[in-house]
Parts: sequence; C-alpha cells; structure tokens
Amino acid sequence: MSVSQISVFIESEPGHLVRVLDSFVEAGVNVRGYSASDTGDYGIVRFIVDNPDAALAVLREQNAACAKSEVLVLRLEDTPGELARVMGIIADCHINVTYSYSLISTYIVLSVNDVAAAERMLESEPVELLGQDDLAHLVA
Amino acid sequence: MIVNSTAEEIFDPSVKGAALKAAAAGNFDVLPMFDRAMETSSRERIRAIQLEKLIAQVAYTYENVAWYRDKMNEMGVRPEDIKTLEDIRKLPFTDKNALRETFPYGLFAQPLDKIVEMHSSSGTTGKPIVVGYTKHDMAVWSDCIARLASMAGVVPGDRVQMAFGYGMFTGGFGLHYGCMKLGCTMIPAGSGNTERHIQMIEDYGTTVIIATPTYALHICEVGEKMGYDWKKSTLRVGLFGGEPCPPALKAEIESRMHIVCTDNYGLTEVMGPGVSGECLAERDMQHIAEDHFLWEVVDPVTGEPVPEGEMGELVLTPLDKEGIPVLRYRTHDLTRVVTEKCSCGRTHARMQKVRARCDDMLIIRGTNVFPSQVEDVLAGIEGVTPHYLIVVDNETGLDRMTVNVELKPEAFSDSFEVMDDFRQMVAEKLKGTLLVGVKVKLVEPGGIERSTGKTKHVKDLRK
Repeated sequence: MSVSQISVFIESEPGHLVRVLDSFVEAGVNVRGYSASDTGDYGIVRFIVDNPDAALAVLREQNAACAKSEVLVLRLEDTPGELARVMGIIADCHINVTYSYSLISTYIVLSVNDVAAAERMLESEPVELLGQDDLAHLVA
Repeated sequence: MIVNSTAEEIFDPSVKGAALKAAAAGNFDVLPMFDRAMETSSRERIRAIQLEKLIAQVAYTYENVAWYRDKMNEMGVRPEDIKTLEDIRKLPFTDKNALRETFPYGLFAQPLDKIVEMHSSSGTTGKPIVVGYTKHDMAVWSDCIARLASMAGVVPGDRVQMAFGYGMFTGGFGLHYGCMKLGCTMIPAGSGNTERHIQMIEDYGTTVIIATPTYALHICEVGEKMGYDWKKSTLRVGLFGGEPCPPALKAEIESRMHIVCTDNYGLTEVMGPGVSGECLAERDMQHIAEDHFLWEVVDPVTGEPVPEGEMGELVLTPLDKEGIPVLRYRTHDLTRVVTEKCSCGRTHARMQKVRARCDDMLIIRGTNVFPSQVEDVLAGIEGVTPHYLIVVDNETGLDRMTVNVELKPEAFSDSFEVMDDFRQMVAEKLKGTLLVGVKVKLVEPGGIERSTGKTKHVKDLRK
C-alpha cells in the first residue's frame, strides 16, 4: 500500500519550481501534496501526485534530475493528539522516519528506510494507510 | 610495402586502419615520414641548425624591420650579441599588439612585390592582423604541413578533400599546398554542403578529409542518416584544425567514421598551421618543426624560462621566415615541451596539446588556476556533465571561487546527505588538482548556459 513520491533537484532560484509545476499542469498531473527543502544553493522538492508515472515522464522529458521512491501515506483524524498518537505507534514499531510532511490537511507522508517492513508492521496497527488509488479520489 | 613481421601481413598505408594498427604494434618504421633525415636528426644537429639560423634571422630582422631595430636599440642589444641559443633571451618579446599597431605592413621585411600570398587572422578579439609570405616562406610552410600529414599516415597519391573554407584564414590554403607538396591529389570542395561532401567522398574515392573536428562529426552524422557506410568508405584519415579537438571528440569520430584523426598546432602570427603536428605514438603530444621554429616555455607572469618539461607559456621564433620575421612571439598558449626521442622515431621536441590560454588564468589567493584544470577534473567524475561555470568574488575580502557543476540526471538522489557527500567529493577532487579550496554548487542538468563559439567559463566579480 505504499505510494510513489517524485523528488526533483531544483536550484534555489526564482522560477525553477514553477517550471516544474507548469510542466505538471501541461501533463495533467495533479499535485496532492509536496515538501520543499533546501540547502541554500539547491533544494529537493518532493511531490505526491495522482499519476506518478506521468509526472516522472514529463520530468525526464525535460532532462530533470529526478527520482521516484516509495513512501507511506497515512490518514489521520483531525482531532487533538492524533499526530502524537500516530507518531507514537511509529516509534513503538522502531521505524525511523527520515522526513515527513503533510498532504491535504491530515494526510501525512513518511519516508522510511524499509517501506515494505514498515508497511507490514503498520498494517496491524490502528492507523489508516493510503494507496495510490485513494490519492486520485481524495477529498480534503 | 614492407612485411610486418609481428602480424604476418603486408603493411599497406592505403588500407583503412593499417597505420593505427602498425602504431599500436610499435611498428613505426613502416609508417611514412616526409623528411626522415631531418625529422630524426640528432639533438646536437638540430641545435646547430637552430643556432645558425637564429643568428642569421636576428641580423635579417634587425636590418629589415624598423620596429625590431628600434626595440633592440632601446634595449641595447645588437644582432652580434646573439652567440648561443640561450642568447635569445636578450631579445624583445612580440605579442599580437605589435602586429595590430603596425597594421598592415609595418612588420614586413620584404617589399610587397616579393610577397606571393597574404593571409589574415579573423580578429575575434580585436583588429585583424595580416601576414605576408614570400616564395621561400610558402615552401617552408608546405614542408611543415607535409610532415604533419605524413605523421597521420597520409602518403603521395592520397585524395585529400578540403572541408575548410579557403579565403584569408591560413588553414585552407596552408593544408592545401602542404598536401600537394606531399604528392596528394587535392579536392578543394571548401566548407559547407555536407551531403555534397559525402557524395564526393563516394564519387572520387576520397581518402583524407581536412575539417574542423566538429564539422567532421557533422559529416559523420549526416552520412549515417543518409545510410552511408563509413566502415566501407575509402576515407582513411582526418586532418583536423581550426579549433581545439578534445580527446573524447576525436575518439568518437575515429570509431564512428573508421578513420585515424590527428590535429596540429600553429598560429597565423608565426606561420599558420604546421608549427607542430601529432604523430601516432603519443596522441597528446605534437612534434615541433624545430628546424624552422625555436621554442621557449616561460612563466606567463615573469617571462622567465621554466624548467624543461614544466607547464608555461609557449614562445615561438620562426627561424627562417622572410615575409614577417617575428621574434619571440608570445602565443599566450600554455603547454609543456619535452625533448626525449619519441617512439615514432622522430627526435624533434614535442609539445603537449594546448588546452589552456594564459588569458584564462585566474589568480586565486595567489595560486594560478586554469579553467582547463577544472575541465580535466570534471571529465574524470561520473555524475557530472563537462559543463561548468567558475564564479570568483571577493565580497568577504578574500578571493572566493565557486564552481557551478551540472548534475547528470542519473546522479540525483532523494537524500540531502547523499547529494552533499557528492558535492563534497567534487570539491575535494577540484581542490586536489587546483591546490586551492573551492566551493562547489550543484546545478540542474542543462542549467549552465551553452554558448556557441567561445564558451565563457569564468565570471570574475572581484572588485
């Protein structure tokens, strides 16, 4: 039930992120969430989209430095303490989260070392994992 | 034809690939040499010829060119002060400005009725310069070209197709006369119309093409698209010039066109192409025609000689030129020269192919840095393209050098840690060669501007 994340190498210069986003629009790729972090000179922007293959294809067409990786997407209840509860479960399972960001309100992305193992461990836990198909029909 | 004892086959220079095969097997004796007696002379004999010619040349120049006479008088040096080859250091340097200031005929040592041909250099960096050749100069020039064509395995009877433009540029006519002197059949097609070039190669059985390396690659690609089989083509040799030929480009053309390619060095101010040429023994080196040119390698800043074999600026003195007898011409080209005998049998000194100009030199916190060094380092790193931009500033008071390096898509990782290690690795490798700390900035694939012609690799923002 993992989800494909698209990461792109982007220079920290005006217009560079827009160029990528414009190409997504043109290819009909819908961004469901993203995270942009930088080092001062360059950044890695990570996208969760409805159609990762189409996104990757349009990026490769532009010869962009990009990669596809597997991440977990969990849906949280919009109630106080929910994030602490879910992160508690992750910690109890001894899963190390490399980075995490939220999608539309209460959907969060986790990057972990072993996606498959984390998935197996979380399946039996009271958290809701989402798949690629779910993302195509998400309502905020 | 000579029996090749190791391969048990007849060496025939007209067979495609035979010259490279012989060179690879170390059978240099079977390869052609235009002037074997001169090209394999002892070092002592070469030096004796040089000294004799130098003494005469300085006297001739002093007598016939007012500009040099004034310069030498100013410096208090007389032609009779030149008694050894090292005495050349007493003479003034000449640079491109001297030719510009005296444009058009100020440095000519002969009346125009003795000049049989004129050429000029394009002047991409300023006013054009013009040079004139006497009948004797043309003979020397052709000799030098015949030598370098021969080094590449060109023999009398070869059909040589010219893909340089003729005109004022020295490359076209220089190579034309030289190959003719060697005994080749010239096909003066000129530049442009690539399909026609390929048709002519097919129709006339052309064996040698003279072109810029990038145009040769274009001919190759157009031929491939037309369905022309380069492997079966009569074409055997490419003589390149007009622009630098990076080893990777040469190797690509050699393997795709199934030809052997060499390039040569020269400049209009001292003659034109043919000052030195590449043999098939050590492809990064070029034999200087030492009986016609005296070379020096100097520190580009002080003008003092550097120890033999070390990198510095090439300074050339043509030894028997009548039209324009230039003394100690500062080429601004960086190279090193070695005098050990080459395995091809030639004894004339070899200069490393020029990949850097003194004008490009940057002084970073007192250390000399050449963009070509950056290029060399990047060429050895997987995951980056050969494109780069050096930015130098001193905002903080100290010189700071940043090298913008283009990431290849396949080298990208989603992890900042991996990307930063990669960046550090590139910076370490650059520091190892440049001996000065640099900051590496990774940029997107295609992020460094590609420019046609002379690519700008340096942005110096220092105040």
